[in-house]
Amino acid sequence: MTELLQILISGLSAGAIYALAAVGFTLLWQASQTINFAQGEFVMIPAFIALALITKLGFPVWLAFIAAILLSIVFLGAVFKRLVVEPMISHGTLPLVIATIALGLLLKEAVKEFYSPLGQPFPGLFSHDTISVFGAAVSFADIANFVVAMGVIAGLQWFLNKTRTGRCMQATAQNPDVAQILGVDIKRMVLYTFLINGALAAIASILITPVYLAKFSNGEVLGLVAFIAAIVGGFNQIKGALVGGLLIGVIDNLSAVYISAEYRQAVPMILLILIIMVRPQGIMGESEGRAV
Amino acid sequence: MNAPVLSVNNISKSFGGIKAVRDVSFNVHKGEVLGLIGPNGSGKSTLFNCVLGQLTPDAGTVHVHNKSVSGMRPSDLNKMGVGRTFQQLSVFPQMTVLDNVILAGQEHHGTMLSRLLGPSDVGLTGEARQMIDFFRLSHLVDEMAGSLSYGQQKLLDAAMAFMAGPTLVLLDEPAGGVNLTMLEHLKERLIAYNQTHDTTFVVIEHNMEFVMSLCTRIIVLAEGAIIAEGSPEEIRSNQDVIDAYLGGN
Amino acid sequence: MKHFAKFFPLIALAALVFAPLGQGNYIIYVLCSWLLFSVAAMGLNLTLGYAGQVSLAQASFMGIGAYITALFQLAGYHWIVGAPIAILSTFMIGLLLGYPALRVQHHFLAFVTLAFNTLVFLVLRNEEWLTGGSFGLVGMERPSFFGVSTMKQLPFYYFSLVVFVIAAAKFAWIINSPWGRAFKALRENPIRAQSLGVDTKRITLLAFAIGSAYGGAAGALMSPLVQFIEPGSFGLIHSLKLLLMVVVGGAGYFYGPMLGAAVVILLPEFLRFTEGYYLMIYAALVIVLMVYSPSGLIGLGSKIAARFRPQKQTRKDMNQGAQL
Repeated sequence: MTELLQILISGLSAGAIYALAAVGFTLLWQASQTINFAQGEFVMIPAFIALALITKLGFPVWLAFIAAILLSIVFLGAVFKRLVVEPMISHGTLPLVIATIALGLLLKEAVKEFYSPLGQPFPGLFSHDTISVFGAAVSFADIANFVVAMGVIAGLQWFLNKTRTGRCMQATAQNPDVAQILGVDIKRMVLYTFLINGALAAIASILITPVYLAKFSNGEVLGLVAFIAAIVGGFNQIKGALVGGLLIGVIDNLSAVYISAEYRQAVPMILLILIIMVRPQGIMGESEGRAV
Repeated sequence: MNAPVLSVNNISKSFGGIKAVRDVSFNVHKGEVLGLIGPNGSGKSTLFNCVLGQLTPDAGTVHVHNKSVSGMRPSDLNKMGVGRTFQQLSVFPQMTVLDNVILAGQEHHGTMLSRLLGPSDVGLTGEARQMIDFFRLSHLVDEMAGSLSYGQQKLLDAAMAFMAGPTLVLLDEPAGGVNLTMLEHLKERLIAYNQTHDTTFVVIEHNMEFVMSLCTRIIVLAEGAIIAEGSPEEIRSNQDVIDAYLGGN
Repeated sequence: MKHFAKFFPLIALAALVFAPLGQGNYIIYVLCSWLLFSVAAMGLNLTLGYAGQVSLAQASFMGIGAYITALFQLAGYHWIVGAPIAILSTFMIGLLLGYPALRVQHHFLAFVTLAFNTLVFLVLRNEEWLTGGSFGLVGMERPSFFGVSTMKQLPFYYFSLVVFVIAAAKFAWIINSPWGRAFKALRENPIRAQSLGVDTKRITLLAFAIGSAYGGAAGALMSPLVQFIEPGSFGLIHSLKLLLMVVVGGAGYFYGPMLGAAVVILLPEFLRFTEGYYLMIYAALVIVLMVYSPSGLIGLGSKIAARFRPQKQTRKDMNQGAQL
């Protein structure tokens, strides 16, 4: 029983971080019909930015983290939007999908070539001391990660629902034409979405990388998990991305223990295929009418 | 009385708090040319989209030849004998006029497999040319559809809608943006087609002149509900209709 | 210009027949590789360029094709037995995989194929009893046809060429049939196509299944070419490479995949010094292409050629004076 509790807690912890990536992904889709196939690499890169600042420029860890988040907001947010997404809006979704696939590849290979193909140790924000929760030995870092990630998502929800800007962003996502008529600067709202995704990806990166070591290939797994979480949760919902992320985190941890290590990766994928077959709108989604 | 070709029963559709279509019912019989008119925001387009399966109504049913068509895919609806034209962007610009029309007919000939194994035009070239001739677009038969004028594209759109020999055709603002001479030609061709093939038409239009001279019966919508129904003459002198258009309500 | 287009296939075929003569073994090997990847890329072109769907699993279909063919060969059967089974199997798997994914909106197929590719890799790596695991399968012999052995590079090249030509001919058949017209309509105006009775979901599914079968065929060729196959050759990165091939060459153009495969396979041979940077270069190239010329290099060439053609100033419909 305590083992189950341990798995559950560490699963929720990882899941909350996956949820960050999944939420960012969902936001981009909602606001600008952008399917960001490079989302996994977006979660891989900030860790390397921080690492580079620490090892090559001697930044203290806390400063490197803040700088990494800011740089991510600028580059993975604003620059990404301006240089990659905007020029392609007129060409339709397919070229954009292909471009983000290529971007992910580019980022991955760039890190592999210019930094290192080997996994790098990454400083964790929180200590790995274990504390006892109902008799289960749980790592402090796990609890802290969960609290931070959920806090960020809660903050995001508050921002979107309770602030004027947030509500404008929601309006832009739901009906850009009407929003524009009502005086909303939709271009700016879309930009904010990209900036937020940059921040979410960076925070996820900082939280999750200590677990896996910083490796150029992290994006593959993290990206896949973000997509699956978003789809399983219901492609169009932030709540869904949250539920999906948590679910995948728990399932992943459960399969690590109860199913072979070799097929652990397969479980989320089988889940994806099942969900698409049985309930394509996701666990929390509503059945979409035909597109047209 | 023959069963109606199209039977719309108690269709209602709301968007958020706005009732776009309220409990609309009407029937259309074989060979009729029904016009659906109404001021902006009267719900014509929403109703149209409900009939075509593009939107799912909140309530009510639509039957074509006594078969319910709720939730039917556009391709299945087409196979049932329902054709439609579009307001905009209705042709395939990078294909020739001939190919556009052949495409419109090919999906009704044989099976998918036979289309893969058979000749490229599935034996439809003759029919396609006839249809193109009917709309007097013969001199453009090998031109890219995208290079045609707006009015000619509308004619091509109609040719494509008719190619598969539908029993019911829904025309979505066919007169929109078309110049006067072309408009006359379009109207004349539509009437000719209706008379030779006894095809049923349902037309949404803003252009009153066009509708009055084309249609045999007219239904007027305002604020989502039917406010008048009758022949063009009756509608023209109907006070409620005049009020609706002039904002008298 | 039209005459050129008609004779081009013949000229190209002649060039391909004479290409390997007098070349060293290594170059012929590379040419075989190019032919094989062209077949795989052709299939992906059908899925992506004609039916507009992103598949990130083409390498895994190659893998399935390669392993099935290899297993049959190692069990003592001639290549000609295993290869068609490999092709049929990948077609069926494509149907099964694509059916649920294409029923829904958005680019779900992309995600499903992404997951599938990784799943296949895991199975290939883990099920040692069947696939040899990480050690892979070795010892597949090159097949003999009518007494002619393909052990040597040159005969194997001609064997590959035959397979390639058959694949290309089939592809040309498909896109010149009414299916080709339906694909074109689907690309240009999917809503209109549907309203005219084009069963877009069905034809897209079939395009994906056929495209995957082409992947299987390429894998069936790969097995005797390299005579050693292992899971790593069919990982996600290779599916991405195939995608790059199609996109760079020109998605939706008949010769696009051949050009793209040439660029991705031959360029590293000439630009040795950029070892390790290839993928970055291609990826960057794809991003730039997507902005300026989504139809790849061939599309770009088309646009440039159009600039040099005399401008058609008058609209054709004005030719007969104002009519209607």
